[in-house]
Amino acid sequence: MSANLAIQGLGVERRYGGFRALKGVDIAVKRGEIRGLIGPNGAGKSTLIDVLSGRVRGQPGKVLLDGKDISALKPQERRRLGLARSFQRTNIFPALSVEQQLRIASWAVTDAGIEEVMAELNLTALARTPAAEISYGDQRRLDLALALVGRPSVLLLDEPAAGLTVEESHGLATILRDLANRWNVTVLLVEHDMQVVFSICDGITVLHLGQTLAEGGVAEIRADKRVVTAYLGTEA
Amino acid sequence: MTSAVDKAALAKRPVMPRTARILGFAALALALGVAMPWLVSSKLTLSLTTQAIVDALLATSVGFLVLQNGRVSFGQAAFFGLGGYAFGVLVARQLVAPEVAFLLALALPTLVAFLLGLVFARIAGVAHAMLTLAVGQAFYEIAFRWRELAKGDDGMSFELPQRIFGFASSSLQDPAVMVVVAWSALVLALAGLALFVNSRIGQIAAAVRDNEERARFIGHDTAIPPAIVYAIAAFLAALAGLLQATYNGYIAPQMFHWSLSGTALIMAVVGGAQFIVGPAIGAVCFFFLKDFAGRFAEFWPAIVGTVLVAVTLLMPQGMVGLAFRLWAARRSKP
Repeated sequence: MSANLAIQGLGVERRYGGFRALKGVDIAVKRGEIRGLIGPNGAGKSTLIDVLSGRVRGQPGKVLLDGKDISALKPQERRRLGLARSFQRTNIFPALSVEQQLRIASWAVTDAGIEEVMAELNLTALARTPAAEISYGDQRRLDLALALVGRPSVLLLDEPAAGLTVEESHGLATILRDLANRWNVTVLLVEHDMQVVFSICDGITVLHLGQTLAEGGVAEIRADKRVVTAYLGTEA
Repeated sequence: MTSAVDKAALAKRPVMPRTARILGFAALALALGVAMPWLVSSKLTLSLTTQAIVDALLATSVGFLVLQNGRVSFGQAAFFGLGGYAFGVLVARQLVAPEVAFLLALALPTLVAFLLGLVFARIAGVAHAMLTLAVGQAFYEIAFRWRELAKGDDGMSFELPQRIFGFASSSLQDPAVMVVVAWSALVLALAGLALFVNSRIGQIAAAVRDNEERARFIGHDTAIPPAIVYAIAAFLAALAGLLQATYNGYIAPQMFHWSLSGTALIMAVVGGAQFIVGPAIGAVCFFFLKDFAGRFAEFWPAIVGTVLVAVTLLMPQGMVGLAFRLWAARRSKP
């Protein structure tokens, strides 16, 4: 086990009755790295995020955060240790104002600095607006802001650019790259927008049918014939 | 470590303005309550007002669950009855000192509700309403059938001890005194709820109500805050039951009945369950409407029902909601 690894999944399994959504997946993300997690629908990407974040527990396999086994911990306990996540579908508090929900999020962790998070994600002007009343793009950034409060050490992002315009996606990618560098956040990014993945990721893991198909640098993955056949196609 | 931006923002904030406002309103309302026996000479009016205030406390309890946990309860009368029965039975049998009976009558329902709340908070919608109904009716059946406890369905009268907390108990059955006690209890309860809603635990409970999963993933425990809300709501219901039992010197199984919870829910909705004071205002209006209609017609429930349908249709956010809307519209006019 390398001391340089921020988060690891070892032999991660997920079964739905007789169906194995994850078949003993191993994944390791280095500290400070932005790792893309790609693959076709049904490959097990979101399921892997669910296992790593604690949404799904009690399955075979281990999850290590900074070398510590957190497999038995609840999501809120993992969050307090510095493991945060966002969701595929916008998952915020609709009735609460932007500022109020970020403040509530800050109470669970140290080094709150919610004004800083709002400023970084261009939410300051919306601070007092109920989340239900802001635009979809702002809600996606609020979802990300909720995960970033307290500067987590590891951030699991499940399709943060889903539903955004090309311009918004590129803006989000820039913010992510910038914050990951400046705040030293390790990111595991599930994303179907390959422009976003190729532009900000240091490395990529490809899942296919619940197993790791390939792993490597961006150029390496783009050139991998198995990945091109299973997912990317010839256009990528 | 707090950033410079944080410190600057904190420095700009006035020191707890909301708390000061709440306490100021509460002090004014308490003063008004103390003056009430001098302002109103009719014992009957004072007695009716006392009963309306007890109803307001119970409606506030039901409304608070809706406001803070987003849950509808048909079993809140269980805690109303438990508060009254715990005090009545302990005092009648002289099992403990009256002061201890008084405190137990509040503590026992609060504890029971907290423990139940750990389970109830995980259940939403119709299932939650049915579960609270079932638990409430279980208490009713026990009080109804267990004759040795408090004479079953006949109910039980009991004598108050001579003194409680150093005060003459008989004064608690004088409407001129009880109206002040009940009013003070209601005002302090509303102020307490307002402070709770603005507290950390209150805001976390609101976040859990809004999105339990996300609350977990931002690092908060999602079982305890809603359970605390259940406990507070039960405390208010128990306080109402205790006041009623003390004032009447009588307890009966009807104190546990689901119809009491249902009526309290109607009061809360009419007043505006999205507001802390809404249910109390709804309860007082409902009480006096019922009394007024009852004086003129035998079929008064039909009149009350018609008025309630009209109010619900015309004011979906209750009377307080309508008042806020009108106030906002007036303010936005140039």
